[in-house]
Amino acid sequence: MNTPLGLSTGLRADGAPVLTVTGEIDMSNADEFRAAIVDAVVDGHRLTVDLTAVEYLDSAALAALFAHVDRLSVVANPLLDSVLTISGLARLTTVTIRD
Amino acid sequence: MAEAQARRSVFTGTSEMAGRMRAHDWSATSLGAVESWPASLRTATRICLTSRFPMIVWWGPELRFLYNDAYGPLLGSKHPALGKPGDQVWAEIWHIIGPMLRGVVETGEATWSEDLLLPMNRHGYWEETYWTYSYSPLHDDDGVVRGVFTAVSDTTERVIGERRLAALQDLGAQAGTARTVGEACDLVVGSLGRSAVDVPYAAVHLRTSGGELRPAASTLAGEVHRSDPTAPPVWPVAEVLATGRPAHVTDVVARIGDLPTGGWQTAPTEAVVLPLHGETGAEDIGVIVLAASAGRALDDGYRTFLDLVARQAAALINGAVAYEVQQQRAEELVELDRAKTAFFSNISHEFRTPLTLISGPLQELRARLGDQDEQVRDELEVMHRNALRLGKLVTALLDFSRIEAGRMQASYEPVDLARFTAELASVFRAAVERAGLTLDVDCPPLSRPVHVDRTMWEKVLLNLLSNALKFTFQGGIRVSVAERDGMPTVQVADTGVGVPADEIPRLFERFHRVPQARSRSHEGSGIGLALVQELVGLHGGTITVDSTPDVGTAFTVRLSYGVAHLPAEHVVTGLGTATPSDTAEPFVQEALRWLPADDTDDRSAGRPPPADRPGPDRPRVLVADDNADMREYLHRLLRSRYDVTAVGDGLAALARARTDLPDLIVSDVMMPGLDGLELVAALRAEPRTMGVPVLLLSARAGQEAAVEGLEAGADDYLVKPFSAEELLARVRANVDLARLRNHHANWRAAMINSLQEGFFVLDADGALVEMNTAFADLFGYGPEGLPYRPRYPWWPDDTTDPSAHRLVADTFSQAMTVTHGSFVVPQRHRDGHRLWTAVAFNAVTDDHGRRLVVGTIRDVTAERYAVQRETALSALNQRLSRAASTTEVLRAGVEELRQLWQAHRVLATHWPAAGTPAVTGTPTIDWAQLPDPVRDTVTALRSQPPLRITIDPATSVRPAGAGTTVDSPQGPLVIWLELDPARGFGTEDQMLLLLLCGALGQALHRAHAADQQREVAVALQRSILGPAELPAGFAVRYEPATRPLEVGGDWYDAVSLPDGRIGIVVGDCVGRGLPAAAVMGQLRSACRALLLEASGPAQVLTALDRFARMLPGASCTTVFCGILDPETGELTYSSAGHPPAILTHPDGRTELLAAGRGSPLGIPSPGGRPDATSVVPPRAVLLLYTDGLVERRRQSLDSGIAQAASAVREHHTAGVQQLADRVMDRMTPQGGYDDIALLLYRHPAPLELSFPADRLQMAPVRSTLRQWLRRTGADPHVAQDVLVATGEACANAVEHGHRDARPGLIRLHAVAAGADLFVTVADSGRWKVPEIDHDRGRGINLMRALMAHVDIRTTDAGTTVELHTRIPA
Repeated sequence: MNTPLGLSTGLRADGAPVLTVTGEIDMSNADEFRAAIVDAVVDGHRLTVDLTAVEYLDSAALAALFAHVDRLSVVANPLLDSVLTISGLARLTTVTIRD
Repeated sequence: MAEAQARRSVFTGTSEMAGRMRAHDWSATSLGAVESWPASLRTATRICLTSRFPMIVWWGPELRFLYNDAYGPLLGSKHPALGKPGDQVWAEIWHIIGPMLRGVVETGEATWSEDLLLPMNRHGYWEETYWTYSYSPLHDDDGVVRGVFTAVSDTTERVIGERRLAALQDLGAQAGTARTVGEACDLVVGSLGRSAVDVPYAAVHLRTSGGELRPAASTLAGEVHRSDPTAPPVWPVAEVLATGRPAHVTDVVARIGDLPTGGWQTAPTEAVVLPLHGETGAEDIGVIVLAASAGRALDDGYRTFLDLVARQAAALINGAVAYEVQQQRAEELVELDRAKTAFFSNISHEFRTPLTLISGPLQELRARLGDQDEQVRDELEVMHRNALRLGKLVTALLDFSRIEAGRMQASYEPVDLARFTAELASVFRAAVERAGLTLDVDCPPLSRPVHVDRTMWEKVLLNLLSNALKFTFQGGIRVSVAERDGMPTVQVADTGVGVPADEIPRLFERFHRVPQARSRSHEGSGIGLALVQELVGLHGGTITVDSTPDVGTAFTVRLSYGVAHLPAEHVVTGLGTATPSDTAEPFVQEALRWLPADDTDDRSAGRPPPADRPGPDRPRVLVADDNADMREYLHRLLRSRYDVTAVGDGLAALARARTDLPDLIVSDVMMPGLDGLELVAALRAEPRTMGVPVLLLSARAGQEAAVEGLEAGADDYLVKPFSAEELLARVRANVDLARLRNHHANWRAAMINSLQEGFFVLDADGALVEMNTAFADLFGYGPEGLPYRPRYPWWPDDTTDPSAHRLVADTFSQAMTVTHGSFVVPQRHRDGHRLWTAVAFNAVTDDHGRRLVVGTIRDVTAERYAVQRETALSALNQRLSRAASTTEVLRAGVEELRQLWQAHRVLATHWPAAGTPAVTGTPTIDWAQLPDPVRDTVTALRSQPPLRITIDPATSVRPAGAGTTVDSPQGPLVIWLELDPARGFGTEDQMLLLLLCGALGQALHRAHAADQQREVAVALQRSILGPAELPAGFAVRYEPATRPLEVGGDWYDAVSLPDGRIGIVVGDCVGRGLPAAAVMGQLRSACRALLLEASGPAQVLTALDRFARMLPGASCTTVFCGILDPETGELTYSSAGHPPAILTHPDGRTELLAAGRGSPLGIPSPGGRPDATSVVPPRAVLLLYTDGLVERRRQSLDSGIAQAASAVREHHTAGVQQLADRVMDRMTPQGGYDDIALLLYRHPAPLELSFPADRLQMAPVRSTLRQWLRRTGADPHVAQDVLVATGEACANAVEHGHRDARPGLIRLHAVAAGADLFVTVADSGRWKVPEIDHDRGRGINLMRALMAHVDIRTTDAGTTVELHTRIPA
């Protein structure tokens, strides 16, 4: 059974891309997540990775985020706060926590 | 201009004299203008002015005077004298130096003068000065001597200092030469007369015995004789003597006129009067007047000198005073000696007639009454011997007076000295051999006869021989004659006590006796050796002594051949055959009386006259005298009325008195060893002998001697000679008095001796000074050894039995500090066997205010061993009674035995049907570990009949031990004790061991039966309770009652219900044994079935009620029945009269589930059975139990429940199995009489997952873990942290945990208890942290950051990650 993962890419009104993720990200689907980030990145804009609907995220997912950290910012729910903070991601890019 | 320049160049420098010279109008003098001065004058002047030493330049016919600053002070008031003619400057010495200067000028030759006396008047007075200087000629430019150059040094201080020192040395050299004070004074003034320059006059005034001062010596001839005692004294001598302070006299001429000048021009004007100090501490002995020379000022240096003179003089006079005192003492002694001899010889003379009149008739009597009865003969013998002795003394004294008066009638005849000497020596042989000594006579013939007076020579040799015998106790005496250095030499050498070196010089002194010398007799006048010396001297010979203490003494007499050294009128010609005369008899007789073999009267029972048979009423008298005759005499006098014991010295008397207290002691004062006074003191110092009366006998008459004796504590004093009547009267009086006085004491002694218990008295130092018969019998140490000092001989030995010794010593020292008490201590009989004694004591104060301890002592050995046996047996039984199994019995048994004997090791060995012997040891040991010798011994014991003791002494390989065999259900059991070899294993120990082994055997049989029953019971119960396939999170325990050991009616059950819930039951049937077990089995099955059907616990119990009513013995069963939802912890329960379940919350809080109560089974519950609901919160513990767990005698059920709750609380974070063990350990009573069932659950049950190492497993595992975490009550954030950390651990396991081709299994285990949450992830891989790549490294960092503690361990079996975090309350 694959870990449930939903990935959707969109553009905000200002043209900035948004990658909205749902489900869980672990070693079994981190590659998909990584590919989605690569696809979603648009030159001249910072990608917003919306993890608000993600229940679980492990170091494989973090590795994908770190790979493009200078081109994205993150929005997440409070459950992910400690992982994002401890991993150091919050120091390298904007991490917005919201309910 | 030229003049000014010349002055500057000649008178250089800034000195005063340079200034004066520059200012001087030289042109007005005969020296003329400076520029006209010859070069030599200029140079000399320049040198003079620039020198720091005194220098002068004399110039011109008038020898005008030029000098420098350094010379100025030497001129005194003559300065300044610049340019003056020499004869004006130094007018007073010109008669000396003028010619010298002229001579230099005239001859041109220099002079040198050293320490030349120049009496000068430069300070307004004449003074003695000394100078060292040279006069050198100064030439003018034409080479004519025109002047003199002088460098001067003033040597006055040095010269005078040396002279004074010489004066003091001369005075000091007189020391030790003066025989009288007068001589000493003369020596002082004589010496000072030689130092008249410094002391022109000296006079010594001495204090007379009346305290007045009289002139004793003076440097003025005849002054002492002319002195008029009535005239007022010239010098302030009385004042100085009174104050002790020196006086300074400045008007000498006015007082006494012109004294001698001491070589100076004028008479002294000043003097000092100084005290002459006595020897340290004594008062001043006089004063000395010392005039000061007018030639020197009386300055500090001079005063110091005169002071030293006075001290030196005082020392000289003090020396003479001391000498005079010593001399006077010596002369007095000589005079005393002379007077003594004269007195004794006068007396002796007077003795001769009466002695003759005694000896003569006595001889006749002896001849006539020789066949009379023994007593008469004995008494005559005594009289005869003592008449001889007196005669010998008288003769010796008369010899002295004859020698002193020069009236010794000698007759020197030529004698074969070797043979004569050998014959004299042989006279002593019998006595010497009887004394146990050897007599070695080595007298080869001499080349020529020697002239001796035979009588005198006999005395010389007999005295030396008797002296040697007297002071020799072992070895022997050697008499030798030989020719040495051409002289006939006789030597008497012994191996006796010797003479201390400091006594040797006085050895030949008359009446002198070596003090404290050990000897055969204390008798002696101290004239023997003195007489020998005199007699040898009459032969023109010498006697010398060579002695070493404790080695021996040798006297050597050297004579001469020929007659030249002898007075011709006393020389007899013709060789006589010298044979010993009867002179020898008194010597030999006396010597024989010193020997112990003569002490026949010590055996007083030997020949008591029939009339004086000892009876209980006859008073006992102890006689102590070193003179055997006196001893015998006293014995004879007293034996008709008293039981007499006679001993030869004070020590023997003391020992005798201690063992056998007499009614009276009659003692001589002068005795060897311990004298009479010391004996009295020793007797008085001991409580037991303190009261015995002592009558002292002494030859010393006079009040003082009597007072001394009485002060020492003697009761009476009798002076020798005494009459028989007087002695008898005194003895009777003293005995009667003492009997009266001692009546009470005797009664006390009799009473004490009749006591069954030992009685003793200790003095203040702890010395045991009195004991009764029972005490002596108890330890085998009798009163003859009194006093006994601690450590007493009956104490346990401190090397072989140190602990007992310490116990006794501690108890004793403690007892000595308190007033009364009692204790029981081990002691040791003289024969070595152990005793236990009970001691009771009281401290008392005696009549003299001394602290004494009196006490009684009782042998409690038998009682003690009996008590010990009882105690040991009951201790063992008590211990065995608690032991429920064979193993426990053995363990308890060996431990008890080891403790009891303090054994190094105790082994209990039995032989199972197969395999190695089973050893229960303390300390624990296996058969294989035992040393071979021990195994051999134990194996040998196996075949021995039961209950027989084998004792093995220690060998080098096997420690000492004792062993026995006990019959046990498993066959012979060998008990082996390894004992401390120092500790014996006596019959008492053996008996005790047998007794205990018997008890052990019985206990083993009991335990064996119990073991068997127990095995049956437990097997049965467990078979009924069934296999414990429990749902997760549960633990159950069953413990049968231990006594009586039976199966019981308790049960537990946990049933998984189809809806996922779990039915839990704990029940307790009434009754015991198989019937109860049968009922229990049925109820349990019924309950199980009902749980599957019924809707709730109340319904289950209600159904069971019906069942119970049909089943006999099931009524009144109590049951707790519950249904638990393991997801939510929700619990529905109902209780049929069962104790409440205990719920322990994660914070430790306890809650009792006491609702839902109904009656026990089969008893109607009014209103039906209720269900109650509760929730077991996450991480809480639920405990169900039967009342065996909480029921205690004399305790309420509530307190038991509280204890159980507390036991759970204490360990509530432990795993459920561990927790169950802990609770059982804590709560199972020793020897419990009820069985116990226990069921324990912690919510939630631990999560146990096992899944393949495949990444696709991650999501479902995560889902399961998330649900379980929810059940633990963890906060979502904590849960998320655990989820992520566990996810990372699993990811590692998936990626690295299966390096081998096949994916392995990953096991996940999660537990929540209390505030702790543990997750363990284990795989079969071997990954290590450093192997992990970057991303996985990030994963591990995440785990560490999210969890409180992370532990990653890799072993061959795989890698285990342990995660731990805390769940906040």
